[in-house]
Amino acid sequence: MNSAVGIHIFRFVALLLLQGLILKRISAGWMGYVYFDVLLYPLFIILLPLRTPRSLVMISAFLLGLGVDLFYGTIGLHAAASVFTAYLRAFVLSQLEPREGYNVDFSPTKAQLGAPWFFRYASIMLGIHLFAYFSIDAFSPVFFADIVVKTLYSFLFSMFFIIIMVLIFNPRQ
Amino acid sequence: MRGLYQLFAAYGNFLLFLALEGLSLVLLLQYNYRQQAIYDHSLLLLSSSAERQVDQLGDYINLRDEVLKLQGENQQLKQALESAKFSNAVQQDTVSNDSLEQLYTYIPANVIGNSINNTINYIRLDRGRKHGVAPNMGVISADGIVGVVRAVSEHYASVMSLLHRQTRIKAAVGSDGYFGTLRWTGKDPQYMQLEAIPKHAPVEVGDTVYTSGYSQLFPEGIMVGTVSEVKPPPGRNFYAIQVKLRNDLGKLRYVYVVNNLMREEHEELDETINE
Repeated sequence: MNSAVGIHIFRFVALLLLQGLILKRISAGWMGYVYFDVLLYPLFIILLPLRTPRSLVMISAFLLGLGVDLFYGTIGLHAAASVFTAYLRAFVLSQLEPREGYNVDFSPTKAQLGAPWFFRYASIMLGIHLFAYFSIDAFSPVFFADIVVKTLYSFLFSMFFIIIMVLIFNPRQ
Repeated sequence: MRGLYQLFAAYGNFLLFLALEGLSLVLLLQYNYRQQAIYDHSLLLLSSSAERQVDQLGDYINLRDEVLKLQGENQQLKQALESAKFSNAVQQDTVSNDSLEQLYTYIPANVIGNSINNTINYIRLDRGRKHGVAPNMGVISADGIVGVVRAVSEHYASVMSLLHRQTRIKAAVGSDGYFGTLRWTGKDPQYMQLEAIPKHAPVEVGDTVYTSGYSQLFPEGIMVGTVSEVKPPPGRNFYAIQVKLRNDLGKLRYVYVVNNLMREEHEELDETINE
């Protein structure tokens, strides 16, 4: 049990640093206009064990988002998107529930629930997160087209990084 | 307390979500210039539109006072017009300001009763003897002439509308100024007949009809309407001209009673002749 909590704390710090120190530099576009960000840190929210209380998911997501915000200099932005994603996690999980139900001790990982299920789940969560992130960033429905374009580009690149990370480390918990 | 606990049991996650999301957004607006600007701008738009609504309401409430103020101003302006003055100058080229004497003054009044659908129509005004209104004074509005005062009481006046079978008003037509008499046939409240314009006068549809100043009721040159139909009746020497009134007497609200300051002189003259 302790080691499980330790893994998640470690993952929290590692993803935070990876996002804040390295992935922050990968953002590209043209004509002086940023078209995508690579956001890998939602993987932490995605990988939290199934039995994690919803409140704890939201609080840890809030803290993680706030940490990323400190690196990005956008206080509140990533936090708001993360809390939103964390809140919707339960809905997504209940929608994707296999016919035989979840094993409560499981984590929603590729190793325990299979690659097709996991990538479907991860892509939905990532899509929600990116859409929320760019919506709050634009802060006005006027920029809806921008929001959609940025979400699509960022989704492709972020999903690429998530797949690589999951394939390399193949986390069980 | 138990209710509060149940509330948290049922909606705890949602409340926590709202709290964290709210906290995030507060931080976002606190520390991020761009989002703050958008937020402030939206708030401004919202509040200014709300303010405009309230302003409009206030305008509407204050309209009455405004109208009274404007009436006073109009009265001053109308009296300052040259058509309201009497020129004492004998030689045309030595007209100076002090040779002009006030000929017409105006009394602002509100219409409190009106009809247009009878053959004899009267208008009731809320100004009477107390305010200087007397019988046989002309009544005009911003759009043209309205009628002639027939009777006055202490606070009210009864005006014979243009739309009255006995209305006879001297009016001129076109740039040449041929004059005739305006009458109402009792049919359409938008049209009057201009009679006694000689057949040799060049009158065309669209010509302006205006007061001639011969009747001492109205200053010269107030527009009455436009010629809408010209018919030379066979075997007569005068046109039958239909005039479309500029003034819509059906929606009359604010009028001015015309006071001719030299009316008594005219009456004296008339009496002298009749003797």
